[in-house]
Formats: sequence, C-alpha cells, structure tokens
Amino acid sequence: MRKAMAAFLAVLMVLSLAACGGGGESDSGVKEFTAFFAVPGSEINSDNEIQAMIAEITGAKCKETWLTGQTAAEAVGTLIAGGEYPDFIDGSDATQQLYEAGALIPIDEYWDDYPRIKEFWSEQQWDQIRRDDGHVYWIPQFGRINEVATTTTPDEAFWIQARVLEWAGYPKLETLDEYFDLIERYQAANPTMDDGTPNIPYTILCDDWRYFCLENPPEFLDGYPNDGSVIVDTDTMKIVDYNTTPTAKRYFAKLNEEFQKGIIDPESFTQTYDEYIAKLSTGRVLGMVDQYWNFGYTVTDALKQSGLDQKGCNYIPFGITIDKGIHNRWFTGGSIMNGANGLGITVSCKDIPGALQFIEDLLSPEVTTLRSWGVKDVDYMVGEDGLFYKTPEQRANTANTAYKASHVCSYSYFPGYLGMNPDGINAARPDLQPGEFYDALSDDVKKCFDAYGVQTYVQMLGVNDIPGPWFPMYSHSNNMTTATPGGVAWTRMGEIKHEYLPKVVLSSDFESAWNEYLEAYASAKPEDFLSEMQTELDNRLALAAKYE
Amino acid sequence: MAGKSASAVAVIAPRQEKTFWQKIKEQKVLVLWSLIFFVFGFIFYYLPLGGWVIGFQDYKPKNGLFGSQFIGFDKFIQLFSDVTFLRTLRNTLCMGVLNLAFCFVTAIAFAILLNEVKSNGGKKMVQTISYLPHFLSWIIVTGILHDMLSGSGIVNEILVGLHILDQPLNFFAYPQLFWGIVVFANIWKETGWNAIIYLAAITAIDPSLYEAAQIDGAGRWSRIKAVTLPGIRPIIMIQLLMNVGNVLNAGFEVQYLLGNGLVQSVSQTIDIYVLKWGISQGDYAIGTAAGIFKSVVSIILIVAANQIAKRSGEERLF
Repeated sequence: MRKAMAAFLAVLMVLSLAACGGGGESDSGVKEFTAFFAVPGSEINSDNEIQAMIAEITGAKCKETWLTGQTAAEAVGTLIAGGEYPDFIDGSDATQQLYEAGALIPIDEYWDDYPRIKEFWSEQQWDQIRRDDGHVYWIPQFGRINEVATTTTPDEAFWIQARVLEWAGYPKLETLDEYFDLIERYQAANPTMDDGTPNIPYTILCDDWRYFCLENPPEFLDGYPNDGSVIVDTDTMKIVDYNTTPTAKRYFAKLNEEFQKGIIDPESFTQTYDEYIAKLSTGRVLGMVDQYWNFGYTVTDALKQSGLDQKGCNYIPFGITIDKGIHNRWFTGGSIMNGANGLGITVSCKDIPGALQFIEDLLSPEVTTLRSWGVKDVDYMVGEDGLFYKTPEQRANTANTAYKASHVCSYSYFPGYLGMNPDGINAARPDLQPGEFYDALSDDVKKCFDAYGVQTYVQMLGVNDIPGPWFPMYSHSNNMTTATPGGVAWTRMGEIKHEYLPKVVLSSDFESAWNEYLEAYASAKPEDFLSEMQTELDNRLALAAKYE
Repeated sequence: MAGKSASAVAVIAPRQEKTFWQKIKEQKVLVLWSLIFFVFGFIFYYLPLGGWVIGFQDYKPKNGLFGSQFIGFDKFIQLFSDVTFLRTLRNTLCMGVLNLAFCFVTAIAFAILLNEVKSNGGKKMVQTISYLPHFLSWIIVTGILHDMLSGSGIVNEILVGLHILDQPLNFFAYPQLFWGIVVFANIWKETGWNAIIYLAAITAIDPSLYEAAQIDGAGRWSRIKAVTLPGIRPIIMIQLLMNVGNVLNAGFEVQYLLGNGLVQSVSQTIDIYVLKWGISQGDYAIGTAAGIFKSVVSIILIVAANQIAKRSGEERLF
C-alpha cells in the first residue's frame, strides 16, 4: 500500500511539474511568456545574453518558437484543433483562422495604457485591420517607419552573380531576353567554377508556398508592383489576373526555351527549400528570381564563411521587365503595413496586461537599440559624431550562427521600428545604416555597386512609392480560406499552377502545354477569386476615402 | 470477463462458493490493473469518436462542438463531388494495395531465405542490419532517398556511368515513377522488421517435420513448400487480415515529404487531403468527414476479409 502511495505521489509530482512548465514566473521573478511564429526562424539559446539584459530592464522574457517543416496554415490549424495557444502568436497566412476560432484577444480594448502600442500605427492604418466586429486583434510588426525611411535590402528581383557581371563588364540589364542572354553567354564561356564543379545557370524554387519564384514574375515584368496575387490596374481601378496575360505566356515560353537549351536546372521543380539554399550556398547557381529575405541572409553568410564571396558568387538584383521602356516597380518603399498578420495575444495568455507591457517595453529606446544594434562596445562602437559602426570582428560575429544564438536577441517578430533609431542619429538597424551597410558588404558586391554607381541593393532597382491605399492586395488573399467560393478557387488555382506551370516549362511542345494549363486553370473558376478581390479593393478604396 | 472467471473458479473450488463481489475483492489488484487499461482504451480510442459529430456540422471552433449548426451529410456530398478527393482516394487505395502486396511478399520471402542460412552469425547480422531502417523516422528515410535519386545522386551516377542513361534522370519529376518509389521506400524500411514475426513462427515448426521430409527425399525447395509455408500459414493469414484493414493507411509522411507540384496528382493521399483541405483551411468538418469515410471503409474491409477467411476455414481474427 505504501508503495502504491509513493507511486501515486510520484505521478502527481510529475504532473504538477508539467503543469508548471506552462508559463508564469521563474524563480528570479522574471515573467516568462511563450510565443509561436508561423514563419521559419532560428531559436536562440535559453541563456542568451541580450535576452537576459532585456529581461532585467523589462522584467519579462519570451521563449519564441518557429515553424519547422510545415506550412503556417497546417501549424495554426493544428493549434486551433488542440485549443491551447502560446501567449503570443503570429499566425502568418493563417491569422484570419485564429481570429475566426476566437483565439485572439481584442488589443484595442486594453491599449489606452500602452501609448507606444497605440501609436505604433496611425488611426487610419488601425482601421484597415479592424475585423468585422470592429476590434483590432493583431499588431502588424513590420514596415513602421520612424522619421525617415532608410532601405537597403530589396524584396523580389531577378538576381545574377557578381562574377557574371564582372565578366561581361557590368552591363545594364533591363529585359528578360537580355538577362537570359547574358547567362547563356557566360555559361558558354565558363561552364564550370574554378574547382571544376559545373555551374547551374538558372534555378527556380518551387517548394510549396515558395513557388512565387516561378509564378509571380509576370506581374513585375509588366511593370506592376507586388500586390502579390493580382494586378491592380490603376487607370480603371480593376483587378487583373496576371496568370494568363500575354506577358505571362511570353515569360513561360522564355523559360521553356531556356530549359530546352539546358540553362534551367532540371531539379528546379523537385528540390526542397533546404536543397535550394544549399545549392545557392555552393556558389554554383548563376541566377534566379527570389525575395531577398528568402535567401539573402542565409546565403550571404554562407558564401562569406566559405570564401566564395571572393570569387564573385554573391547576387546582384535587377528590375527586369518584359520589354524595354517599361518602368519597373519591383521595389516599393515607404511605410507598408501588411495588415494580413501581426503579433496577437491569445486567450490562453493569463497575464494580458503583462504581455502588453512587454510589447510596450520592447519599443522603448533602450530596448530597441539592444534588439537591433546590441550592446555598446561589444556589438557596435560609437563614433565621435554619435554614429554607430561595427569593427570587422563585430561584423564577423553577426554572420556567425553560434554567436547569434548565444548573444543576439532581436525579438524580430515583435513590433519594431524601421527607419531611424529613437536617438535620431542612427538607423534603426545596422543593415539600414548606409555607411555601415556598405562597409559590411563583401568585396564582390562592393565592386559591382561601384561599377553601377550605387551604394545599396535597393538603388539597383529604384524605389517606387506606394501606389495607393489598397496596397498590398496580398494581405487579403493570404487570409482567404475555403469558407468562401473565392477562397476555394484560390486554393484550386494554387494547386493547378503548382502542377501545370512546371509542366509548361519542361514540355517539348510549349503551345499544347500552355493550352492544357489554360484549360485546367479555367476549371478552378478564377473568376470567383477575382470578384472577391475586386470587392476587397472597392472596400479599401471606400475606407481610404473617409480620411481624405 | 468477471463472469467467465467466476464460473471457472466455481469448477475448480466447488466447496467454497464465492459471490461476485468477494471475487472482485480478492482480485482487486488485477481488477485495478485491468481498469487502467480499460480507462486508457476508453479515453484514447472511444472518447475521441465523439468528435465525429463535427463531420455532420458546419463546425466553427469558436462555437465548439455543442454550438455548431448541424448540416447532415452536406460535407460528405461535397467530399464526393470533389475530384481532388476522388483522386486522393484512388492514390491511397493503389498505394495501399501495392504496399500490402509487395511488403507482405518480401517479408515472407526474406524470412524464409534467412531461415535457410546455415551460419548462425551471418544470419543474426543480416537480421539486425535489415531491421535497423525500421527505427529511422520517415524524414530521414525520405532525405536519404531524395539524395540518392537526385540528379547528382548515386543512382544517377551509376546509371550514367554504365551508359544506361545519357543524362541524369530526375526521378521525382515523373508521376509514373512515384508509386514505385513509395513502395520501394516501404520495402526498404519495413521488410526486416516485418520478417521477425515470420522468423519466430518458423522457429516454432517442429524440426522432426523437416527431418521426415528430408528422409522422404525432399530437397530444400520442396521442404520450403511442404513444411515451412504450411507451418507459418496461420500467421500469414492473421497478418494479411490485419494489414487489409490498414490499406487506406497508405501513409502520410512518405507522400508528403517526397511529393512535389509535378507529381501531386498521384502523390496525395487521403491524409494529406485532410491536412490541406481540413486543417490548413480551417474546414475541420470536411477533414472529419474524410476521416470518418476512411475508418468506415477500413472496418468494412477488415470485416469482409475476416468473413472470407471464416468461410474458407482459415485462421481469423474474430
């Protein structure tokens, strides 16, 4: 009997320990929150140094977990089915589902005590993301500019290696034909790298949701900005489908032609994201279309660590269009709020004021600097003029994964400022500080930039203003689900494009493959999707009109 | 159960009639232990079945199980008018049957071959090596496959090196190859493991039968046919019955991890459909409906197979 009692007590202890793990305060009196962000990211060590410093100032810390191996919708759908959430959450593409499941608390009911949160976006911008019940449920973290916009890294572009440009004497590439022509000529003259590994002239990432690298260039080629899922015709204020335009056909015909010539990587459509990043990190790939955030940070660090940056393997962006004379709008600058998702607080959070106070504190000048620049004299130096800079050693640390995990804590998916640091002298982040950004570049990129007379990637493309208050339309389509006919069509269109567009590129008979694609595409009823997008566009225009 | 044991005791000890409750009291430790398993089974196997009600509702997580509106069979109708679902059904069935047929036969053949190996050391080693892949998770197995079959992988290097192919073949780009790859992966991973049960059954065969067969002039092949196979026949039948019920569990991980846009029309199984159209889209009702359908079909399959076995006088489950 005593034994049974002891066993019972042991079980009880284990259970209560497990229950304690669910949050609350640690021994030191620091509040511990949990967060899940439905985007890929790297976890930091539990004894991270800057995280501990921030905890000293704010009295709280947050254990962040990220997406691994699933899509955002899968991860969030599983959380909803389970009914238990972390304290903070960013559902990415599945944020609307979190709201519909009643998983989020209305932030605007609490925010009067937290001025930095309330003033993070303007009244008009908050109105854009109010749900149908009139409440705000999440804080879009990105794109909030403090004072002046400073941008250095672009979004999507046609990228080409610095060594190709150097070989060709730094030509200005404007059209799709020029771009592929250069790659073909370089490949004919230099089929391998220095060590004999064959080059891969052009690869296309097509893994799951990242297949935008294949499917969305037609909107940019026609000179439209990144509305994501559709083109907005600014003359008529009508939604246009870019999947079937004459430009789309020419673009895929070009890819098909290049595939037949052996320029396009035959593994394009079967490689996973990890394999793609590994491939780029070997320096073998001459060019591709991608978003900078999708490859830039990892691949640039990898190339630096393996010394391939000395051989010109870094990538330079070009704002390619289908014909000459079209103004390219690959990059849109300014304060863009993607209202489709953001940081929310869940109904599972037991200390809502504490959670809000934590966000508020993370936006204070002191913590903001810790998150972005790090610790003075350890991560950055201060010049006589008050300008921050990094020593070469400090820059090397920034590219070191192990160092980042043990030392750096940016709380990157909590709201943060872009533009200027609160001190008004420095940029919000090291990579936005013009001098610092340029100095930190690898030599091959610097040489290219000097040749083209620019200092940043963005200047290679040129900056466009936000086209209108509706921008970007993808913040609506990202949140569509099969609950509406438009959402069903959107899901089916995605499936069909995933299957048929690769076939179009690989086909030995382009015309018939293209017609098969058009036929399958029409069966997905894209008109349902387009009409819902048109309604959303009209709504956004009407909302904006109230503020004029 | 309690009634059965009570009557059994009554036969053994007729002098001391005990009431049901006295028996319970006497065997309270055993009862307690079996209660744990009963509760476990109830909580984890039967309680969740209550969630099937979602399949008949316009389920919204906000309203919960009790607040959602009932819509009858709407979701099932939607399911069967969806070509994507019908395609996943076909894929699941085909891959399930292929897996069953090939994995089943290879496991038996492997067990028999292994049994014929004379050297004990070699036999043990082969057996251990062959069942090791079972302990690898699918993500690792698919990773290995992806590497082996990639353009610069070992398979292509060999084929190109032997001049069987001029150009490396991108195996994952061809829908017609996908099922074969999945079956191959299953065979590689599970043959050794599945063979264990047959090996155990073979060791239970009376050695004098082999001796008698040998005296009658039976060679190796005849002994396998006349002694080994009939000897493990009951096990084969039971295994077959149990696996038939699993045909619709053709897999999730392999297809999910190896699939890509080009082959999605043959790679997606019902489980992937549930994930994509149920969980990802927040339409839990259609996911549940697909799950119910799968369970019902599995039950029908297993009962039917059992009946057939019963009629033909074979070993059976129930």
